[in-house]
Amino acid sequence: MADRPFHDVPLAHAPQSHWVGKNFPRKEDGRLTAGKGRYLADLHMPGMGHLVFVRSSHAHARLTRVDTKAAAGMPGVLAVITGDQLKDEINGFPLPVVVPALPANYPKFWPLAVGKVRFHGEPVAAVVALDPYQAEDAALAVEIDYDPLPVVLDAEQALKPGAPLLHEDWDDNLMFEMTFTGGQTVEEQNRNDEEVEALFQQADIIIQESFKVHRCGVSPMETRGTLAIWDDSDGLTAHITTQRPHIDRLALADVLDIPAQQVRVIAPRDQGGGFGAKAPFYREPNLVCHMARKLGRPVRWVETREEHLMAVSQERDQTNYLELAATKDGKMLAIRNRGIGDAGDGCEGVYWGYLMPFLGAALLPNAYDLPKCDIKLKVAVTNKSATSPARSFGAFPTRFAMDRAVDMLAHKLGKDPADVRRQNLVAELPYTACTGVHYDSGDFPMTWDNLIREVDLPAFRKRQEDLRKEGRYIGIGFGVGAELSGVASEVLVPMENQPGYGAATVRIDPRGKVLLFEGDAPQGQGHETSLAQVAAHEFGIHPNDVVVTTGDTGVTPFGSGTIGARAGSYTASAVSEACRFLKKKMGRIMTHDLELEAGEDDFDFQDGEIIYSKDNNIRKSFMEMSNRIIMAPLNLPEGEEAGLEHTAFFEADKPMITFSSHAAMVEVDIATGQFEFTNYVTSEDTGTVINPLIVEGQVQGGVVQGISNALYEEFVYDENGQQLTTDYENYQVATAADVPPVRVTHAGVPCPHTPMGTRGLGEGLPGPVPAALSNAISDALLPFGIEITELPLRANRIWAAIQAATQQAAE
Amino acid sequence: MNKTLNIKLNGIAYQESVPIRMLLVDFIRDRAGLTGTHIGCTYEGRCGACTVRVNGDAIKSCLMLAVQAEGCEVTTVEGLATGGKPHPLQEAFNERHALQCGFCTPGILMNAAEFLEKNPNPSEQEIRHSLIGNLCRCTGYVHIVEAISDASERMR
Repeated sequence: MADRPFHDVPLAHAPQSHWVGKNFPRKEDGRLTAGKGRYLADLHMPGMGHLVFVRSSHAHARLTRVDTKAAAGMPGVLAVITGDQLKDEINGFPLPVVVPALPANYPKFWPLAVGKVRFHGEPVAAVVALDPYQAEDAALAVEIDYDPLPVVLDAEQALKPGAPLLHEDWDDNLMFEMTFTGGQTVEEQNRNDEEVEALFQQADIIIQESFKVHRCGVSPMETRGTLAIWDDSDGLTAHITTQRPHIDRLALADVLDIPAQQVRVIAPRDQGGGFGAKAPFYREPNLVCHMARKLGRPVRWVETREEHLMAVSQERDQTNYLELAATKDGKMLAIRNRGIGDAGDGCEGVYWGYLMPFLGAALLPNAYDLPKCDIKLKVAVTNKSATSPARSFGAFPTRFAMDRAVDMLAHKLGKDPADVRRQNLVAELPYTACTGVHYDSGDFPMTWDNLIREVDLPAFRKRQEDLRKEGRYIGIGFGVGAELSGVASEVLVPMENQPGYGAATVRIDPRGKVLLFEGDAPQGQGHETSLAQVAAHEFGIHPNDVVVTTGDTGVTPFGSGTIGARAGSYTASAVSEACRFLKKKMGRIMTHDLELEAGEDDFDFQDGEIIYSKDNNIRKSFMEMSNRIIMAPLNLPEGEEAGLEHTAFFEADKPMITFSSHAAMVEVDIATGQFEFTNYVTSEDTGTVINPLIVEGQVQGGVVQGISNALYEEFVYDENGQQLTTDYENYQVATAADVPPVRVTHAGVPCPHTPMGTRGLGEGLPGPVPAALSNAISDALLPFGIEITELPLRANRIWAAIQAATQQAAE
Repeated sequence: MNKTLNIKLNGIAYQESVPIRMLLVDFIRDRAGLTGTHIGCTYEGRCGACTVRVNGDAIKSCLMLAVQAEGCEVTTVEGLATGGKPHPLQEAFNERHALQCGFCTPGILMNAAEFLEKNPNPSEQEIRHSLIGNLCRCTGYVHIVEAISDASERMR
């Protein structure tokens, strides 16, 4: 086992810091390793009712009878509710608060099925009882009669005329379609398509392929849950496993007709992962809150894993028909893509199953210089659970398609895919992709060259050649990702009617300690530590003297949530800005107190002291100045107020990105098709790094999620729409023995648009993985001419491809 | 239907009337209030977040009825540190950033504690194989393996 010493990564462009760039061990870990975390399922209230859902056993059927009489009479049962009752008690969806600003068909639905069910597992009724066993027993006593309807389980089938119609007030099953290139008007788009076609006519070489990615996602280890408390005076307090408490609050207020000031959403301090699965506004928390109000007592629902795998965390599931035009020198001229996305039943607040393929299509050109493209997308509804966000948010399938096509181009030209890739990377930033996505800063070739050095490509190629002579097949594959670093309001407002700014309240107390409040709810990303490091860096104090509170709408400023790599980019920046505001204030007051010839920026905050930079002998302790300004605010400068608390809202002047490049190495046994990934290396541009260990953990986790998705996980529905993978025996998640170690390297530039030069990362990381893995296998099997175009990667498929290729060669 | 259960958790004796259907993990969490042991699957016994030690053996507490642990001595993650001193595994996990959300962590710690007692000088491959009963989503396992290796050095 290689012993890797810790080393501190120096801050790229800022003065000496004790805290930024440091592997500061996390503050969360003491309690989490001692079993003292406080997750949703750990929360209890006296008199709490336990809620259990009764879920549809059919994929598509009319509900002809839902009889709750027997269940309602069982011991301990407080209430049983059905969709027919619920629809008269609360507002249904869609509601503006959770509807994007994009044109699409938005299905009408309630938290419980009304009239018909549209997927295996749709909630039909709910039971609330005094203890969980009573609730489970009563749920079994709810009688439901179904009148089955034909099912449709494939997005392309769903778009064919005559396909079974999911939402009967629609004309067909098309939920969303869009052209991403050329402009806003049909004339502009048509003209663009013609220009793209002209480029295809000129091209020396065209790659044309369909790339199919299966249904899988990133289910977190902690399932969902809600503990709702109603009080006639305080209103609703809802503890919800959510990435977006401030958004949930607004949605609950509108759905349940509660004045917003009487709704408080608290994301538990500890959450067991999210990865997008806890971002939508779902049916279940909605209903739990309603029942708490209806019963006048707290109600708790803790999702089972079976429910979770039936109802959420299903993503990817796209087919991309991609064409790539290039010169014989390997320069890509244009791409044309027809994407087909599967939204499941589409009944999901905020994302509606289609926003993920939408973003995936916008990110399709990736880090490549492709000024002219023709990219179109259609998303259909099917009899499956609504597609919910999973880390990489729609780009996992499109990254697979694009980066596989690059390798296929290289193979056709007899060139090394590494060279073709590098040749086509955007050479100079800023750059705006043909889909309008803005890439603000970075140096893609530099980050890429670092990867090539780290894997020692020439040595690998030599070894590959030698081993082939021995009948052994190793391969190396690459993938890249130009990923969103936070989501600017410029993008998020049109997309989701939600802002993208980061916000943080910094409160210094008279003892020189700092309380920091931010509205995004983490699920393991380490905000309590990394944001404390930022404040400690700014104020020159210790991170243990900074306490971070997150995710409680009652005490934190508005935050759009832990989505799209916001923390390092937007939230950390807001923390930094708030701290700097207060530092300037302290500087002004110290200037006044000591009658100095100084500006507000002439002070260094180091080791608990505020030091006049023009004369180091002039210094005051941070605590003394804090106390003076808060507790003894006499003789303040003209116009200055007492107190040391500030809320900053940070919006970058341009939407920002982070860049990641990946290399996977594999050996394939051609006799069996089995393969083993032996190494995985990444080269990252994450700008200034606050905590290198946390960044490393994020990359390793994201890569392994990608590997697990590409190799093992698959949601399988049978021909009747019965979901067959509702437990971890059948829905296989990678274990430690299934994956290689992941080595993370850095070669980046500070981001010019954030106060510390930081970038956010996390969201995009699984994106480059499937291409890296399948490019590696295709590279290993190049002598057989095998190109992988479909996931998951399975030994039997590879074996069959080798057989077919060998037979063909023999003929 | 209920039965009286006599059990020791982290050295404290409990005597409770419990439903026969109650799983050991639910007894630990809901009756004893020790919520450090987590539930991550619908008791198919795959995720490992519920791992505790029953008479020294690392077992998945969702795969046992509470009444099956009659007379047993059970250690949960809350009992891993002794005399106020963290276990070397807990220290190593902190130093190596071997946890992110922490949900799988108690199960991994309890499994690893037993593993290192039986296998004090494991290779990386042996550590990875010892972890096949514990799913983790956040870390990608790299830091976990490093932390367990570190702890094994400290414990030797």
